Amino acid sequence: MAILENPIKEVLELENYINGEWVSSESDQFSDVVNPATGKTIARTPMSTRKEVNAAIEAAKDSFPDWRRTTPLARVRCLFRLKELLEENFEELSRVQTIEHGKTIDESRGETRRGIEMVEVATGIPSLMMGYNLEDIATGIDEYVIYQPLGVCCHIAPYNFPFMVPLWFAPFAVATGNTIVIKPSPRDPISQVKLAELVDEAGFPPGVWNVVHGHKDVVSVLLEHPDIEAVTFVGSTKIGRDIIYKKCGETGKRVIAQCSAKNYMVVMPDCNVGRTIPALMTSFFGNTGQRCLAGGNLVIVGDSKFYNEFLDAVVDTTSRIRIGYGLDEATQMGPMQSIDGKERVLAYIEKGIEEGANLRLDGRQFSVRGDYPDRYFLGPTILEDVTTDMKVAKDEIFGPLMSVMRAKDLNEAIEMANGSDLGNAHAIFTSSGKDAREFQYRVQSGNVGINIGIVAPMAFFPFGGMKDSFFGVLHGQGRDVIRFFTESKVVIQRWL
Amino acid sequence: MEINTASEAISFSQELEDEGAQFYQDLARRYTEGKEIFLSFAKENASNVVQVRRAYYGVISDAIEACFSFGGIDTDDYSIDSRLPKDIIYSDALRAAVAIEEKTVSFYSEAGEVSKSLMADVPRAFGIIVKKRDKRINRLRTLLKEGK
Repeated sequence: MAILENPIKEVLELENYINGEWVSSESDQFSDVVNPATGKTIARTPMSTRKEVNAAIEAAKDSFPDWRRTTPLARVRCLFRLKELLEENFEELSRVQTIEHGKTIDESRGETRRGIEMVEVATGIPSLMMGYNLEDIATGIDEYVIYQPLGVCCHIAPYNFPFMVPLWFAPFAVATGNTIVIKPSPRDPISQVKLAELVDEAGFPPGVWNVVHGHKDVVSVLLEHPDIEAVTFVGSTKIGRDIIYKKCGETGKRVIAQCSAKNYMVVMPDCNVGRTIPALMTSFFGNTGQRCLAGGNLVIVGDSKFYNEFLDAVVDTTSRIRIGYGLDEATQMGPMQSIDGKERVLAYIEKGIEEGANLRLDGRQFSVRGDYPDRYFLGPTILEDVTTDMKVAKDEIFGPLMSVMRAKDLNEAIEMANGSDLGNAHAIFTSSGKDAREFQYRVQSGNVGINIGIVAPMAFFPFGGMKDSFFGVLHGQGRDVIRFFTESKVVIQRWL
Repeated sequence: MEINTASEAISFSQELEDEGAQFYQDLARRYTEGKEIFLSFAKENASNVVQVRRAYYGVISDAIEACFSFGGIDTDDYSIDSRLPKDIIYSDALRAAVAIEEKTVSFYSEAGEVSKSLMADVPRAFGIIVKKRDKRINRLRTLLKEGK
C-alpha cells in the first residue's frame, strides 16, 4: 500500500486570523511545529502578544451586534457553505492532522468526519434555538421564553484532536449568534489555520471567527478579559479545574472544562471475544492512547481460565500492532505527539514495575515501519497484576499503556471503576443485558459504553463527564451546548 | 500482503476495481460482439469505487475500530491480473473473467464478514457489490453457454 502524499511542502509561517484578515504576529517568540513521525519542523507558530489577543477580542466584540441581528437562517447558511468546503478539502485536512499530530490516516479521516458532523448539527439552530410559550397565563397575558446569544466566546484547544475539538463548540457558538476567538494548541495549530481559511471562504463576516496562536500567556488574557462571556476548554484536570474553572468562577464567565480521564474497560466472560479485542485495541492504543476516551484500565472479570485466555489474546494482538508514519496506510499506531508525552509514559512504565505490576508487554522495545527516527515513537505496553492503589491505575497517563486488573464479579469491577476520581467514559463488554443495565445504572461516568471501546457521543448528544473529568454545568455538543451559548429571557406580555 | 486497516482495505478494493475495469476495457476492444456488456462492467467497476469510498468516508470516525477492522486479510490471495494473452480465444477470455469475478467476490465477502459490526456502512457496501457481482458472474456464464 502507498505512503500517501504529504500536502505540506514547505515550512509554514503561521499567522493569526483576526477580523477576517491574516495578520503576521509582532511577537519575537515562535514555537516550532514538528511532524513527530519524521522529527522535521513543518511550521512556526507565534506566541501572540497581549495586544494581538485584545485585537481579536475587540474584533469579535465589534462584529457581535450585526451578527447577532443576522437571522439564524442566514447564519447557518454560512455553515452549510463551510460544510461543503470541508467535504471538498476532506483529504487534505485529514493528512494535515496526521502530519502535525502523528495519528494514522484512518484516525485523521475519522476526526475530520466527526468535525464535519458538528457543523451539520449546528445548521439545525433555527429549530434548536427555538424557545417556548404559553398563552393566557392569566387572561390576556402571555408568557414565553426566548434564547439569545451571549457575546464573545473563546475556545482553548487541546493538541490531541487539533481539527475536531474546536468544532465541538465554535459552529454552535456562531450559529446561535455569538462570535468566537479560538486559541489552537501550539503543538499542532495548522489544522485550525486550514479551517479558518475555509471559514473565510464560506463567507462569515469579519470578526465572527478569529484564531490567535499562543500558549499560557494568551490563555491568561482570554480568561481575564471582561468582554469574554464564555470559555470552553478541553485538557487536563490540573489546568481545567485549577486554572480555567477557578478563574471563570472569579470573573463570572460561563465555562465548559472537559478534563482528564481514567477509563475502565470491564470485560465479562460472556463477551464476544472476537469483537471485543479490536474494540480494546482502538480504545487503549488508538490515537496512541492520547485521548480522554482512551481505555486506561482493563478489568477482566471471571475465573483464571477466562482471564488467561483472554489476556493472552489481547497480548498477542497488541504485540502485532504496526507502528509507523500515519500517512502509511498500513500503520495502526502513530508516534506520540511530543517527546515530553513519551517520557511521561516511560516514567509510568517504570513506576508500574516499581509498584509491583508485571510487565507483560514492553512497549519500550518496538520497531517502526519504514525509515523514520524513533524519537517520538513508543510501542504499546501492557502491565498486569495492577491494583487500584497504584499510580498507573489512578493517574491519566495519556499514552499507549494498558493496566490490567482482575475482578471476581461485576460488582467488584463497578466498585473499582467508581473508586476513581475521574468519570469520563467507562465501558462494559458483555452479552448480558442484565449486566449491561447494572453497569449503566451504577457506574459513575458521564459517558457509558456497552460493547463500545471509544464512548464518543455523536454531535447531537452531549459529551458527558463527571467528577474530576468535567467542570461546569452544561456539556459540549448536543442540546447542552446550545443552552450553554445562549441566555434565556422570559417575557410576560399584555396588550392593553 | 496482510492488511489490517480500513484505509488499506479501501485502497485495495479500488485496485481490484481499477484492474478489473482495465480488463473489461481490453475485452471490449478485442471482442466487439460483447463490447456493450464489457464496457458496462467497466463502468460499474468505477461506480463501485465511488460507492465504497462514499461509505468509508461517510462512516469513518475516530471512535470505530478502523485501524483494526480487517485483521489479517492477505491481499495476495485476491490479487488479479488484468493482462490477457495476445491470442486468447473468446471463451477462455470469458472464463478468465469469471475467475476474476469470483476472486473479487471472495475478497469482498471476507472483508465484509471480518469487518461486520466494526465498520458499519462499509461491510454493507461490500455486500451490495457482492450481489452485483453474482449477477455479473451469471451473465458471463450465460455468454459462455451461448458461445457468444
